[in-house]
Amino acid sequence: MDRVFWLQGITCNGNSHSFVNLSTLPALLKNIEFIYHPLLESLSFSKALEQNFDILIVEGGIKRDWQRGGVEFEKLFLELASKAKRIIAVGSCAVYGGIFKEYDKEICGVLFAKEEKSHYFEKFKDKTINIPGCPAHPEWIAYALIYQKPHLDDYFRPKELFAYTVHAGCTRNEYFEWKVDAKSFGLKEGCLFYEQGCQAPYTHGSCNKILWNEVASKTRVGTPCFGCTEPDFIQRDLFQTKTFMSIPAKMPLGVPKRAYLTLTGVAKSFRIERLSKRLIDD
Amino acid sequence: MIEILEKIEGEAEVEYSFVSGEIKDVVVRFPHYRGIEEILQGRAALDALVIAPRVCGICGHAHLQAAAMALERAFGCKISKKAKIIREITRFAEIIQNHIKWFYLVIFAQLHIPYDFRKVHQAIVLANRLIALFAGQSPHSSYAIAGGVTCDITHVELLQAKAIVQEIEEILFDLLGEFDEKQLSKDLAKLFEALKSKNLLQIGKSLDRFITLSEDSVVKNVKILHGKRRKTSLRFVQERAFEGSYAKGVLYRGKFYETGPLARMMQMDLPFIKRLHRRYKDSITTRIFARIYEAKLLLQIIAEHLDQIDLNEPSYIPCKVVDGMGYVSIEAARGSLIHKVAIKNSKIANYSIITPTQWNLSNGTKENPSLLQKAIIGLRDREKANLVFRSFDICSVCTTH
Repeated sequence: MDRVFWLQGITCNGNSHSFVNLSTLPALLKNIEFIYHPLLESLSFSKALEQNFDILIVEGGIKRDWQRGGVEFEKLFLELASKAKRIIAVGSCAVYGGIFKEYDKEICGVLFAKEEKSHYFEKFKDKTINIPGCPAHPEWIAYALIYQKPHLDDYFRPKELFAYTVHAGCTRNEYFEWKVDAKSFGLKEGCLFYEQGCQAPYTHGSCNKILWNEVASKTRVGTPCFGCTEPDFIQRDLFQTKTFMSIPAKMPLGVPKRAYLTLTGVAKSFRIERLSKRLIDD
Repeated sequence: MIEILEKIEGEAEVEYSFVSGEIKDVVVRFPHYRGIEEILQGRAALDALVIAPRVCGICGHAHLQAAAMALERAFGCKISKKAKIIREITRFAEIIQNHIKWFYLVIFAQLHIPYDFRKVHQAIVLANRLIALFAGQSPHSSYAIAGGVTCDITHVELLQAKAIVQEIEEILFDLLGEFDEKQLSKDLAKLFEALKSKNLLQIGKSLDRFITLSEDSVVKNVKILHGKRRKTSLRFVQERAFEGSYAKGVLYRGKFYETGPLARMMQMDLPFIKRLHRRYKDSITTRIFARIYEAKLLLQIIAEHLDQIDLNEPSYIPCKVVDGMGYVSIEAARGSLIHKVAIKNSKIANYSIITPTQWNLSNGTKENPSLLQKAIIGLRDREKANLVFRSFDICSVCTTH
């Protein structure tokens, strides 16, 4: 049974709470044991520090002059990370530095500081798995706790979770295919990629495959994807699509601009009656 | 002596000053500043809807809605009745999951009372799922936007939501039994017995003054002072800085007040709460029971709300970004949350947040002690003092936004 230490750096606690939403948590807790978790039953922080453990979960960004439990956080992190057999960086703060890096540039993640390698990269790259997201999805965290050697991408994210885009499985895909934009917020109809700033077509993540809280996702409730699993999270002007000559400035993942423009030209030359109306007429 | 209290949504340093075995003073420091207000400055107005929830992993939804309301006030936008009802449903669901977590994972754990983790966990999962049905995910949704909500739900989601509410109601009844102080059963009885046997029923009495600054379909913006109710206004809220802590203290016309579930339940004339208060005043007993009572009460209100949604109303009413000010309060799990925004040239010129924990955990003076100080000073035992501290349901991350 793997013993897990859940360490918090500069964080809002969102990943701790997200993880508790795992509906199969009681079953998972038969296979792993938390010697420290900020919410779940576990030892006190100081007692947990004296214990041996297998997996270190890091939630939150890392910075030198920051305290946790009265100890300098970086020292604590280095000590625990060196001791751990495996490290899982959970949430975009632990992976890239995250949103609070916007306030303090010195904050970094375990292996990365935004797109750059962090100063801990060489030391821990062989035993770290990154599970970004703001917050990370509970099932992604459970996956990383159980699977020790998943295939990883360039940002050390498991491919089985992050090779997809958030766009995959979006219920608005038909509108994307035919380039029909959402006329406003608060509608079932229309794609949010053209006006509302949706980043799902170029954001790695399985939000529309492994649903949130088992029932939904941002795009399914009409909220644009904000790209929270990527190193450049959090960007600016989030509810607005950046355009260049009135086409989205950033292309769907791996799609050459010429291919996109050709397809758009064709799609837009047709008006699909069904997709231009409301789905449910009253 | 300084103690670091953890597992309170982050941590706090609590400094107790003992004189001949008795706590004479207590000072709280929250060391972990994260700069949310600075991050917001200079950004597009609507970015607040993505950034503000990141103040807190457990009550971020209240922060989202406070941000949406503040922007609506600044822009002069209205929302539909449907959007209003849906927002209350998800906000109340967040409060419910918070209270269940706190009641069991904090209070029961502190008092070493065994509980059925599987059931408690299921209720937490379901309450968050209820939020996600409308908001897309929990935590950290951004579905409340200036002008309404992004979701365009159907009867399918409504049916799912009703089933979830019913399921949580059943679990809570299984766990807690009836709220009848003469015949407590199940976990409520266990809690009462634990407090009684450890001689804790009467500890933690504080100023017995309560404040609520927001108004919604459940509460009114009133304060209760010496049993008298008066309307409150955000105009009279004062922030005061304290050395060594990033948390500013908050007063209303020079006085400290308790905000949160107890304050809300005290204004509602509920026989269960009134009888507890008559007997135990604002001790930890009343404070703890009021909190879990609120979970049950809000669940009933969500059930009623679900029947009141008119799906033909718009979810979103177009709302233009214009310059202006928004100063609003909304009820979060721990009490009245305040957001204040100034929009200039369509950007956020200024953003400031006052969190409920700041009300309850201010550092006062000898003459004018804060809620926490009044509740703790005079105790002789650190363990008891820590329990009183936790009875306020502290949110460190909120306070050090």
